[in-house]
Amino acid sequence: MIDAAALAAAIEMLFSSASPWLIVIPGILLGLVFGAIPGLQISTAMAIFLPMTLYMDFMQAMLFLTAIFTGGGFGGSIPAILMNIPGTSSAIATAFDGYPMSRQGQHNIALGLALGASCIGVIVGYTILFLLISPISAIVLRIGPAEMTVVILWGITLIGSLSSGSLLKGIISGLFGLLIGTIGYSEAGVTRGTFGSSYLLDGVAVIPAMIGMFAAAELFRLVKTQYLIEDSAARRVSVRLILAGFRQAIAHPWIVLRGSLIGVFVGSVPGVGSSVANLLSYMVTKRSAADPDSFGKGNPSGVVASEAANSTSEAGSMATLLALGIPGGGATAVMLAAFAMHNITGGPQFIREETDVVYAIIIANFGQAVLLIGLGLLLIPLLANVIKVPMTYLVPSVLAIAVFGAFGLTGDLSGPVTVLVFAILGWIFKRYDYSVPAAVIGILLGGMAEDSVIYSYQISGGQWSYLLQRPMALVILALLAASLFGTRLVDALTRRIRD
Amino acid sequence: MSRQPENIDRNRIADLVVLLVLASIVVLYCIDAMRASTDVLNLILVLPVTAIVLVLCLLQFFLDVQKLRQVGQPGEPPSAVLPVAGLFAAYVLSLPWLGFDLGTFLFLGAFLWVHGERRWSWLLGYSISFAFVLSMFFSMMLPYPMPMRILHMASG
Repeated sequence: MIDAAALAAAIEMLFSSASPWLIVIPGILLGLVFGAIPGLQISTAMAIFLPMTLYMDFMQAMLFLTAIFTGGGFGGSIPAILMNIPGTSSAIATAFDGYPMSRQGQHNIALGLALGASCIGVIVGYTILFLLISPISAIVLRIGPAEMTVVILWGITLIGSLSSGSLLKGIISGLFGLLIGTIGYSEAGVTRGTFGSSYLLDGVAVIPAMIGMFAAAELFRLVKTQYLIEDSAARRVSVRLILAGFRQAIAHPWIVLRGSLIGVFVGSVPGVGSSVANLLSYMVTKRSAADPDSFGKGNPSGVVASEAANSTSEAGSMATLLALGIPGGGATAVMLAAFAMHNITGGPQFIREETDVVYAIIIANFGQAVLLIGLGLLLIPLLANVIKVPMTYLVPSVLAIAVFGAFGLTGDLSGPVTVLVFAILGWIFKRYDYSVPAAVIGILLGGMAEDSVIYSYQISGGQWSYLLQRPMALVILALLAASLFGTRLVDALTRRIRD
Repeated sequence: MSRQPENIDRNRIADLVVLLVLASIVVLYCIDAMRASTDVLNLILVLPVTAIVLVLCLLQFFLDVQKLRQVGQPGEPPSAVLPVAGLFAAYVLSLPWLGFDLGTFLFLGAFLWVHGERRWSWLLGYSISFAFVLSMFFSMMLPYPMPMRILHMASG
């Protein structure tokens, strides 16, 4: 229930002076820039600027860090759309349709769609958080490894639907990626598939692998072209078209709402977050679309679905942080550190006793979404000029940025080597009609899938009947079945009724 | 209708080779995992997934064999990407010796030269400035030291 007194206090806290807002603008800009540079994670930006929050009060610190979070959530989509390099793992699905749109000269529209879906997503996500913070935290507490296993199973069975070519090759790619994701130390305390390399003990670095498979492999192929967009007339950057894209995002309210709901609930599960939310939202949107074959070839709905989910998952992870004191990922872990620096502990007691602060954080994020529109519109035209750079210059420059970014992620040369190896693998996959997105999703989920299966096995003692005692897992299984067979079943029934 | 040539199509053979290589990697990984430990916790995911992949590879193999005499879609030949991939590999693998600053400068310069840039002012100006800005930015932003050759010497 909404506490009216706390709400009034939150409004007073935010709007009695301009000072809380002064740090929001630089926060969003930092997030946009760090998100837009592959290899510089949002959590990295937050960690770098965390010491600055020592000189702020708790409210300002939270506004500053959530502003970086909000800006970064959208920033990652810019290189995903323009160069097929997801700036963060939460923008993987944005590249699926955003990049083909760019190649067709619709980069302005795609960027506008991403900005619109992100801003609306943030607003919808925090509205859900505002209304449902307590129920969400209660649901999160019920999610165990069995539910996680089923969610991952759902993701993997849907991988086939991502494949535009052979379904068999799509599933082989996904499972191949899943196995790569399990390389390194296992729960049994032994190492597998490391070939004696100490760099692989912690497994394959996921984001450098993703950059290699998506971006570097594509750049190898693009080197013969003159520009990213061949038609010189289509190469111009137009604020008017970006705004048109923004309006198009508003014209997809159902996709935004569905993506936002997926984002909030998946984002609130610790360890899962936006990287899975954007993929899930994309896959569900593709499955339910009237023209699923157009996805992956520049369908605007794909960009909207992905961006709505990844921006909303911020609200989901904030729900877990505020209500349970558990960070869902790197960015919220930094926020937890900010909590500690200000002697504040998140959790049910925090929500009960500091409701006004919680409300203020939520309301501030509505303001941040509005500011993101303005700042995004200012910054996008600058960043979008990348399409005017000849490929002879763009290809080596982007490859070099990818190498620096990969080093930034791993802290050693295993990052750049991972980019190289997976660039070659990515080219082979594309050349021989295997699914690169499915393989990347597999790599992303491999470790998580293995952990969930092991924990389920340990809790259940190897008894399958344990699953029957987990109603939420059964609900997700039903959703899985519905997503796989629902459309076919409805079609079959409709045909029978017509006949 | 696909044409039936007398000889087996090269692209189809390449398809089969890639499939066999993927299946071999999966098998080798599974053997390595089993060699490391046969504990349930070690194999609970790896073993069933390997089995599924092998079954799917077998199915795909039969599908590909059936199409061996059909002309496949001619794809991009490896020779098209070999110069770029080779240059990129040389760049990445030489980073421990050349450092990020010098390595990036040489990579950019070599790439531009190979792809037809002959204006020395652009060739050197762009390579030096881009490598310098990128190296400075990342070395300032990252909390750990980056291998550098010239910037390292410059900073003493």
